[in-house]
Amino acid sequence: MKKGRLELNIIAMALFIGLLFLFRITFDSYKMKILNLCGIYIILGLSLNLINGFTGLFSLGHAGFMAVGAYTAGLLTMSPAMKEMNFFMKPIVPFLAEVEWPFFPALLMAGVISALMGFLIGSPVLKLKDDYLAIATLGFSEIIRVIFTNTQSLTNGALGLKGLPIYTNIWWSWGAAIFTILFMVFLIKGSYGKALKAIREDEIAAEAMGINLFKHKVMSFTMGAFFAGIGGALLGNLLGTIDPNMFRFVLTFNILLIVVLGGIGSITGTVISAVVVTVAMEALRVLDETINFGFVTIQGIPGMRMVIFSLLLMIVILFYQQGLMGTKEFTWDWFFNGKGFRKTLKKEVK
Amino acid sequence: MRILKADNITMKFGGLVAVSQFYMELNKGEIVGLIGPNGAGKTTAFNMITGVYKPAEGRIFFQDEDKEVDITEYRPDEITKLGIARTFQNIRLFKELSVLDNVLIANHLRLKSDVFSSILRLPNYVKEEKEMYEKSIHLLEDVGLQDVMHEKSSSLPYGKQRRLEIARALATNPKVLLLDEPAAGMNPKESLELMDFVGDIRDRFQLTIFMIEHHMQVVMGICERIFVLDHGVTIAHGTPSEIQNNEKVIEAYLGVD
Repeated sequence: MKKGRLELNIIAMALFIGLLFLFRITFDSYKMKILNLCGIYIILGLSLNLINGFTGLFSLGHAGFMAVGAYTAGLLTMSPAMKEMNFFMKPIVPFLAEVEWPFFPALLMAGVISALMGFLIGSPVLKLKDDYLAIATLGFSEIIRVIFTNTQSLTNGALGLKGLPIYTNIWWSWGAAIFTILFMVFLIKGSYGKALKAIREDEIAAEAMGINLFKHKVMSFTMGAFFAGIGGALLGNLLGTIDPNMFRFVLTFNILLIVVLGGIGSITGTVISAVVVTVAMEALRVLDETINFGFVTIQGIPGMRMVIFSLLLMIVILFYQQGLMGTKEFTWDWFFNGKGFRKTLKKEVK
Repeated sequence: MRILKADNITMKFGGLVAVSQFYMELNKGEIVGLIGPNGAGKTTAFNMITGVYKPAEGRIFFQDEDKEVDITEYRPDEITKLGIARTFQNIRLFKELSVLDNVLIANHLRLKSDVFSSILRLPNYVKEEKEMYEKSIHLLEDVGLQDVMHEKSSSLPYGKQRRLEIARALATNPKVLLLDEPAAGMNPKESLELMDFVGDIRDRFQLTIFMIEHHMQVVMGICERIFVLDHGVTIAHGTPSEIQNNEKVIEAYLGVD
């Protein structure tokens, strides 16, 4: 790392935190929620990008890991009284009934349990490749959902959990997002990250170069699951309500969309596209309502925003087939010498 | 001193016997060739030695320091760690990565620090990484690729890609190097350069080299011993001049009326 870069990174970080303060003062609760979602989607996008983009494993199990994370954190943080209210069909298993953890350990535990699931699932499933791996992980994620729907005394089944304490605020969501970004940057720049990229480029050659494929794949998968669990936990404690249907495979595709749009194998790309997609999904909400042009009034069609959103996506992908960033990353050199001052988000991706 | 021994290894794909009872010994410091018409099973023999395929019969032994190890059941990465590196017939570089990264990745197998010390940049990792960089840059200078070290590996001209693949294999610190058609697709001048290069790295890195090659000038010029495979069967074994005059070899290559 060159001298001066560190200072620049610190300045950018300070500016960004200042910006968060500013947002906190000026934004209403709706905008704050979107801001939180941006941070959470960055975490989720990066964790999927680690598995799909950097290691080249086509995994579609993210919703499953998120569910594990969300339920773990939810059950650990809810007050005993709230649990009793929720579990009216069947009482909650005794060992969880009296637990009430602070948010931070619950968040960590969500990551750890999810990583453990990733490890257990990964060990058999990562022997598969490409589409087969995709199907197997997709199946896993659906199995998790079905299990959660049916374990009444553990997860309250299809009723879901209501009244989760709203712990997630921008400091938690963006703090975790920044931590994830730094984690990924240092991982990818290091020798282990290079080994993962080698596996993506050519498995046979990677193995011939002495890289233990299985160990590295499981490692990447477990780390991805860890951050997916954290993301799920933050989401659960942001919305205050979780139920198994939230974690359908459509959720995985939303995250996959962020990764593909940003560029498979680019941390910067994922960060940018997580923010763009999250904001765009909300900003396009006006399309669902009745629009009055003065001379003509268009009746609101629910779902119109998804049509427009999909169209925009198609156009973007037509022009940027590698996603917005390809496999490139943001660097300060590029920022200063590159094509002027493009409105790049001041993320501390080096 | 014997360093590698394939003891009657056989490979079957369904009903097809690709390689049958292949027996081979490599002595330290030798350059040995493996030739044969297309489909003779040369690459299959390589794949068995490097652990890509498990032989149906026979064992493979590797002399590791002072003990002989049975590597038949080893995975490819374990075999590479022991000291057998290889290149591929159809170049298999990490295409999207830089030349330097390609060589750095081949150093990864000796990394002792775990992944968390790599993320936290702990002193033990930083030290190891620095050594890896220095070693890789030194190696690239040795093979004459230092000028293109930051280029994308797929952007190199063909001859340099071959050279990089050999350099990458060398970065794993091998004792035995298996080259699968290193001169494929090269013009006569490049082939001769490659021949010098192979002889040169053998001396400099104290290697034992086992190579598949179709280019007869290269094989005859550089190899001390040659094995000839045809339809999976070893039909001849000997010095280049013996092979050139062997009737069975001529028959296999030219056919007989």
